[in-house]
Amino acid sequence: MLTEARNQLKVILLSVKYNIMREMTNRTTFLTNIFFMILNNSTFIIQWLILFRLKNNVGGYGFNEVMTLWGFGASTFGVAHIFFRKAFELPDLIINGKLDAFLVQPKSVLLGVITSATSTSAIGDVIYGYIILVVFNFSISNLFFFTLFTITGGVILTAFAVITGSLSFWLVKADILSNNLISVMVSVSTYPDGIFKGFVRLLLYTVIPTGFAVYLPVRLMIRFRLEVLLGVLGFTAAICGLAVLVFYKGLKRYSSSSLMSARI
Amino acid sequence: MRKYFYIYKATLLEKLQYIMNTLLGFISFFVMLFIFFNLWNYIYADATQLISGYTKTQMIWYVIITETLWFGTTNRTLTNQVSQDIKSGSIAYGLNKPYNYIYFIIAKHFGEITFQFFLFLIAGTVIGVGFLGGLPGFNLMYLPFYIPVFFLGILINSLIRLLISIFSFWMEDSGSLHWIYNKLIIVVGTLFPVEIFPLWLQPVIRFSPIFVVTYGPAKLVIDFSIEQLFKVLAAQTAYVIGLVCLLAYFYQRGVKKVNVNGG
Repeated sequence: MLTEARNQLKVILLSVKYNIMREMTNRTTFLTNIFFMILNNSTFIIQWLILFRLKNNVGGYGFNEVMTLWGFGASTFGVAHIFFRKAFELPDLIINGKLDAFLVQPKSVLLGVITSATSTSAIGDVIYGYIILVVFNFSISNLFFFTLFTITGGVILTAFAVITGSLSFWLVKADILSNNLISVMVSVSTYPDGIFKGFVRLLLYTVIPTGFAVYLPVRLMIRFRLEVLLGVLGFTAAICGLAVLVFYKGLKRYSSSSLMSARI
Repeated sequence: MRKYFYIYKATLLEKLQYIMNTLLGFISFFVMLFIFFNLWNYIYADATQLISGYTKTQMIWYVIITETLWFGTTNRTLTNQVSQDIKSGSIAYGLNKPYNYIYFIIAKHFGEITFQFFLFLIAGTVIGVGFLGGLPGFNLMYLPFYIPVFFLGILINSLIRLLISIFSFWMEDSGSLHWIYNKLIIVVGTLFPVEIFPLWLQPVIRFSPIFVVTYGPAKLVIDFSIEQLFKVLAAQTAYVIGLVCLLAYFYQRGVKKVNVNGG
C-alpha cells in the first residue's frame, strides 16, 4: 500500500511538473501572470489599512493577524490551483463527457483528473502568502506551521471542490452551484471569523469548511493547541475520504458523450 | 444602428431562457453583502455614529449599490470572449461581417447584462430593505437622473474592459490586466466611498474610473445633489469620448496584426 501511495504521489508530481513546463513555453506570460497575481492580492492590503484606521481590532484580530489570514487564504487557494486545478473544473468535465480519457488510465481516476492542469497565476498566490508571512508574522515555527496548514488548507479546498463539483453527476445546474459555493468559501476565508455570529459561524466550520482550512490554522499560529492541530489534520483526512466517496459514487452514473479528445 | 439593436434584442431574449443561471449567481452576491453587513455592524459602535460623513445605514447601502453595479454587469463576453477571439484568430470571422466587431461585442454584452442587472438591482433592494429598512432621504423623484448616470457608469466600465481585452493583440494574455482593474474597482471602488480614504488620495480617486463607474452613481442615490449630478455626468461624458477614441485607435492598429493560417 505504501508503494502504491508513493507511486501515486510520484505521478502527481510528474503531472504538475509537466503542466508547469507546458505553461512556461511562453515565459513572458508565465512570469507576468505570477507577478500580476502578487500585485492583485496586494491591493487588499489597502482595504485592511482603511478598516484598521477606523478600528484597531476587527473580529478579535489585529492588523498582522488579518494579514496572516490573507496570506493563508491566498496560499491555500494557490496550492489547490497549482496541484489540483481541474478539481475546480470538474462540472465541465462531467457535463460535457470529458472524463473518458481518464477512465482508461491505470492510476486513480480522481487524482488523474484533478492534477491534469496547473494554474500559473496560483504560483503568485503561494509566493504572496509567504511574502505576507515574512513581512508580518515571521518565525521558524510559524514558517513550519504556515507550510503545513497551506497544504492542509489546499487539500480541504480541493476536496470541497470535488464534492460540490461531483454534484454534477446528479444535478443539472450543479456547475453554477459549485462555483458559487467555492467562491463563498474563498471569499469568507479572507475576513476574520469574529465578525460572523451564531448559525453562520457554525456553517463556516461545517458546510463551508473555511474554519478548518484557514481560521483554526491562524489561531494555532497565534497560540498552539495540540487538540486543535489534531482536529485540523483529522478533518482534512475526513473531507478527503468524503470527496473520494462522493466522486466514485457519482462516477457510476457518468455516461460518455463519445467526445474525441487527446491528452497532450 | 438597427442591426446592433437586433443583436442586443436577440442576446437579451436568449439570456431570458437561462434565468436559473443568474438566480444561482445570487449566492456569491448575497454572501458578499452579508460579509460587509457584518463588518460594518462590527465597526460602527452604534447607528448614530458617523464615519467620514456616512451613517451605518448609508455605508451599507453604498456597498449594496456598488456591489449591484459590479455583480449585475459582470460577464465573460468582454473579457474571455474578446481575448479568446483575438488569441485564437476567430476575430477574423468577425472582420468580414457587415458589422463593426467592437459595436457587435458591446451590443451583445448589454444584451447579456440587462436582465441580469435588473435582477441584481431587485435582489439588492430587497436585501437592503430587509436588513436596513430602507434608505433615509431616498426620493423616487430623482429616478430620471439616476438612469443616465447608471447607464453611463455601466457603459464606461464595459468600454474599459473591452479596451483591456483589445490589448490581447499585443500581449498573449490580457487576463492579468483585468485582475488589476477588477481589484481597483472592487477594493477602492465598491467597498468604501471616496471620503473614507486619506485626503491626499481622494483627488487621485476622483480622477480615476472609480468616480464615474461606482462612486458617482452610488453617492447620488445615497445623498443626491444637483451639483454632484452635473459633476458626475460631465466626468462620465469625458470618459466615454476618451475611451471611444482610444478603442478606435487601438482596435485599428491591433486588427492589422491579425495573422490567420487557414482552419
